[in-house]
Amino acid sequence: MSAADLGAAALRAALFLSLWGTGAAIYAAWRRDVRALHSARIAAGISFGLVVIAALSMMFALATHDFTVLYVAENNARETPLFYSIISLWAALEGSILLWTAILAGATAFIAFRGTLTIPRLATTALAVMFAMLTFFLLLVTTPAADPFARLAVAPENGNGPNALLQNHPLMALHPPLLYLGYVLTSVPFAYAIASLILGEGGDRWLVATRRFALISWGLLGVGIVAGAWWSYAVLGWGGYWAWDPVENAAIMPWLTSTAYLHSVMVEEKRSLLRTWNLALVVATFALTILGTFLTRSGVVNSVHSFSLSAIGPILLGYLVAILVLSVGLLLWRSARLRDAGPIGAPLSREAIFLFQNVLFMAATLTVLLGTLYPLVAEAISGAQLSIGGPYFDRVEVPVALALLFLMGIGPQLPWHGASRATLERQFTAPIVAAAVGALAALVTGTTALPAVLTYALGAFVIATVLQEFARGVRARRTLHGEDGVAAFSNLFRRNGRRYGGYVVHLGIVLIALAVATSQARTVDAERTLAPGDSLQVDGYTVRLEALRPVSEPQRDSIVADLAVTGNGADTQLRPALVQYPNSTAAVGSPGIGAGLRDDVYTILAAYDQRTFSWATIRTRVIPGVSWLWLGGAVVGIGAIIAALPAPRRRVVRMPVAEVAVSAK
Amino acid sequence: MNGRILIALALLALAGALVFAARPHDITADERVDQITAQLRCPVCQGLSVKDSTSETARQMRDLVAQRVREGRTDAEIDAEFRAAYGDWIFLAPPVASWSGLVWLVPIAVIAAGLVLVTGRLRGTGAPPAAEPTSPDVAALRERVAREEAAEG
Repeated sequence: MSAADLGAAALRAALFLSLWGTGAAIYAAWRRDVRALHSARIAAGISFGLVVIAALSMMFALATHDFTVLYVAENNARETPLFYSIISLWAALEGSILLWTAILAGATAFIAFRGTLTIPRLATTALAVMFAMLTFFLLLVTTPAADPFARLAVAPENGNGPNALLQNHPLMALHPPLLYLGYVLTSVPFAYAIASLILGEGGDRWLVATRRFALISWGLLGVGIVAGAWWSYAVLGWGGYWAWDPVENAAIMPWLTSTAYLHSVMVEEKRSLLRTWNLALVVATFALTILGTFLTRSGVVNSVHSFSLSAIGPILLGYLVAILVLSVGLLLWRSARLRDAGPIGAPLSREAIFLFQNVLFMAATLTVLLGTLYPLVAEAISGAQLSIGGPYFDRVEVPVALALLFLMGIGPQLPWHGASRATLERQFTAPIVAAAVGALAALVTGTTALPAVLTYALGAFVIATVLQEFARGVRARRTLHGEDGVAAFSNLFRRNGRRYGGYVVHLGIVLIALAVATSQARTVDAERTLAPGDSLQVDGYTVRLEALRPVSEPQRDSIVADLAVTGNGADTQLRPALVQYPNSTAAVGSPGIGAGLRDDVYTILAAYDQRTFSWATIRTRVIPGVSWLWLGGAVVGIGAIIAALPAPRRRVVRMPVAEVAVSAK
Repeated sequence: MNGRILIALALLALAGALVFAARPHDITADERVDQITAQLRCPVCQGLSVKDSTSETARQMRDLVAQRVREGRTDAEIDAEFRAAYGDWIFLAPPVASWSGLVWLVPIAVIAAGLVLVTGRLRGTGAPPAAEPTSPDVAALRERVAREEAAEG
């Protein structure tokens, strides 16, 4: 029995168990039957194990080049290095769906064992929803729709090898799994929300149970998106990191609604408002992940990511429609029980800012959705061909993003219910001064475009509010708990990770905003055709073409330009290349990047003399501040981890005022 | 320094910086070429602009735009030439006129509708519910910490 047989059998067994688990969980929730719940739990655990076995079997089949498996024959070759063979699990549709299924099975098992112990009925119903979704995905991978283990009658001598773009950079090991994890984990809050609606619970228990899941899936999506931007920057070779490509749009939409949710959920926790709205946001986030998968895996939109086409499109569309009909139906049915009590706070209260923030995030999401789908719709209706690309999205989203940056500075500084004049003055004096300093700093460093200057001003504004919060938190802990500065600072994060982790996330977002503003405003381009020995000058750098040479590796042939980059304190060698994979008609550009905190020197071999290697066209971009983008992504991830970590159990010590006075001395 | 004067000065400096950034200024021919080609779609690429693409087609289009700029054509004339050759499809941002104007209208309409909805649900006055603590420092800090600790639980 080969690994592929084992994997296929494991998936079929998992499908059976998942069907069983769905029934058992429904019965357990309905009749409050402990034995059925126990049975569903075991089914969840075992089916997770089985799907993991299937995924490992696929990795094994890839690593051992088992070309009797269609997926391996299409996405692997004998020459593919082991590392890229293994990560080819997510190089195409069937493997990606298998990975997705494995993560979903893991989440189902986690809920089965954790959730059902603490809040039995809600979690058991949610478990049934998770099982139902898992069953759907297991049906996909055990039928021709997305069968990863489909066999070939005659195994070819060699396979096609992975898509050229997917075997050109190690970031492929990181970016898709992170995104898939983020995507799939949005199904947990969704399952609890649906369960809460089915049970007709008016309360917020579903929300408390899934808070951490929502945060983790949001963090993974965010970090996955930044990792994707980095991959795009390092692989696609045009000197940018975001092109408003349909797949990028598909990833950012659930992140946007999820960000809106993470904030508006605080309004529900504090004020018991916005119940219907929060449920709708959870449903929207989940539905957008499915929409994204549909858009990118069905071939309806052209994208750099359209790596595969399949019959899966209509099936996913049906799944999406079913989810929307079910969710909207439940929301309408239960809406009477979800009525909010009373008005929201004053215009300058924290909850009001959250609402304005939600409006902007909705507008941002709808803009992306519209811009992605409109060309399709327009062409279907009128046959007119339209392009909606970067310039459109930039023009709409940049003002929205700036407004959001502004609200990010204001919101956390305002108390709930409303603020007085004195509060406003106390909270905003330093940040306003910082904003002025930020704007001047932009001008002094040569960033003079208006959107960029605004970004610097607002970025400084937000940084000042966050630092002010840290300083006040530390001072309060020193006064009240008598801790020294370092202990007080670290305790802020340990004791109230959600709040201060959130501020760290805000700092990361500011870094990203500054990186985008700086790189967009000040990138300098130069393109010259050089003979070996010649050089070009750009923005203080000298780029000299030293040699042009062919390089042969088992899995690919490349033409490499050896460049010496000097100037601005730099002295490095860069090697942009044009790489030819046997399975790809066009050569793939592989940029040579000299990364730095101040700026990146991004070099591309655009064209060369194919006969005598006597000249090469070298495009050089000096892109300032782009490294801060990856740094910002890491800071966002760290903030999300801080916010998601559970607080340690606390001893509650209330010190009398007299002792505070003593310890303050 | 008095807090309010400080705020006023900072706002003044900020406004000055923004006005300076927004001032009309001359752009070089290269910058004009970049601006125009950034709006044009590279016809053989996957959603990349003519400015960003390294393809041969994009290079020829960049050269053509540069030539037209040297000849002293206006942006509108250059755009019209590309529109005649390729149709509206060649522009990465669709024209505001005609049906595609919808994609410009919808974001604005969503924001406007959202603002109306939210403002309608806000409490009328901005008066805070509780009086501000009189001795600002320690009282405010303690209140804050109490709030945080309540939030943790």
